[in-house]
Amino acid sequence: MIEFKDVSASYDGELAVLKDVSFTINDGEFVAFVGTNGAGKSTTMRLMNGLLKPTAGEVLIDGVSTCDLKTSELAGKVGFLFQNPDRQICCNTVRDELMFGFKAQGREDADARARVDALIERFGFDADAEPFLLNRGARQLLALASIIALETPIVVLDEPTTGLDFRECSKVMELIAGLNVRGKTVIMVCHDMEVTADYAKRVIAMTQGKMVGDGPTFEVFRDRGILERAHLLPPQIVDISLQLGSFEAAGGSRGELIASSSIAYADTLDQMSSAIYGFISEHSGVGAFPSLGSDEGLGA
Amino acid sequence: MMRGFLEYVPGDSFLHRMNPVAKLICALLISIACFCTSNLLLLLAILVVDFALAASCAMTRQAMGLAKAVALFSIVLALIALCTTPSGMELIALPWGYIGTGSLMAALLIIVRLVACAVPLFLVMYITKLNDLANSMVKILHDPYKYAFTFTSAVHFIPVFMNDMSGIMESQTARGVEFDGSFAKKVRLMVPLCVPLLVSSVRKTNSAAIAAEVRGFNMRTRESGFKEYPFSARDVVALLICAGILVLAIVSNVI
Repeated sequence: MIEFKDVSASYDGELAVLKDVSFTINDGEFVAFVGTNGAGKSTTMRLMNGLLKPTAGEVLIDGVSTCDLKTSELAGKVGFLFQNPDRQICCNTVRDELMFGFKAQGREDADARARVDALIERFGFDADAEPFLLNRGARQLLALASIIALETPIVVLDEPTTGLDFRECSKVMELIAGLNVRGKTVIMVCHDMEVTADYAKRVIAMTQGKMVGDGPTFEVFRDRGILERAHLLPPQIVDISLQLGSFEAAGGSRGELIASSSIAYADTLDQMSSAIYGFISEHSGVGAFPSLGSDEGLGA
Repeated sequence: MMRGFLEYVPGDSFLHRMNPVAKLICALLISIACFCTSNLLLLLAILVVDFALAASCAMTRQAMGLAKAVALFSIVLALIALCTTPSGMELIALPWGYIGTGSLMAALLIIVRLVACAVPLFLVMYITKLNDLANSMVKILHDPYKYAFTFTSAVHFIPVFMNDMSGIMESQTARGVEFDGSFAKKVRLMVPLCVPLLVSSVRKTNSAAIAAEVRGFNMRTRESGFKEYPFSARDVVALLICAGILVLAIVSNVI
């Protein structure tokens, strides 16, 4: 469990980039942090693995303050994927890169080697390939794989899909969703609201170092006030369903929103066509047209 | 606001308003003066002038930090001089000679000289926009733009690479690498990190070169820059004072 208690933080000791932030993330949650650049999202991530210590308040990981632990000690609990994989990759082969975390933590045993072999097979990597010669998407996957290898209970991802094409993005996000299904706590920073709507179960919206919204993904996205304060646009499906008035009928998932919006859209089309046909029949003297939605109309 | 190493600090001080080339020449004159004299008092006086100049443009903190870093580096050289320059009254006997009062003076001179020489050169970088420095070198000194650009790019990339290295170290710390400990351990852990730094620097340099090329880098001539850099009375006065310091340093060594 991750607890932020009235946390403030700054990089130079003067300008606070995070102000009185409080929230709790329970084990097994999938939380996305959204907001504009400079909102304090990445700073919040850095506080979670102790790369940055709070200037006020407390950050607790499983009840232990990050101030009492070194980042290297926290590495066993919190896996951290940086936005730029090139800052993480430092070994000559893919296999060495995947083993690096185990070596750093002194866990280079048979179990570690077996995990690395399994990951190489699962991701389809060439174990002896030179990591820096891989393309951007493959390097991002390698960086993610090296975090997954460590099997940390908490995985923090700072913009994991930046610079990836749609196929690579989907692949990375499916892997991340898989981690959450296996019980890991996943926390990510994401600028893509569609990706956030697809995968995250909870959203925390931030602006100017403060939290402005926290709740189930679609509850946050339907709140115009939160979105305005965080300078965000909702995912298209939320916008459509709100305009069609179908949001209330849907549950908390994107699939249910799509289903209820489709029904509402069909109803709206039906009402529109009935009105148009009614108008035509009234002014042309032709008999009433059947409704598109009725059996009679469809059957004809 | 916190600024990085060698990053321009805006201001409106006397030094800020000086011609970039005049600033560079003044800094070079002071630095040469430091190597032309072995008079400790004069070197200390130059050091005081350095800090007064830094204070005049609100750069005391940066100057102190730089002086500390240079002093630490020069201690190594000072120790070598201490052990290999037997002169003056013997204080400690060594198997190959001795450490004397002259050796102590030589070691002290090295430290003061290096600090006094480095501060003005670095100060120029902090109070001059790199673009202005490059353009004025081209306009006034007729330096080919290619070389001026290479020089300013090299200076510009220092804080960029330092930032990259710090990011790389952070990501390794997040994977469990412990950089605390002895100097030797730190060096051993940092050596493999030079690979991502090298890769990122080559990529950045390549991108910068391509970006410059596609914007007509090779078409640039001495007349391309619209900004003029005329010398004013303050530049002439500053140059005369620095020339005076150099003459004083030479004379003090001769006498």
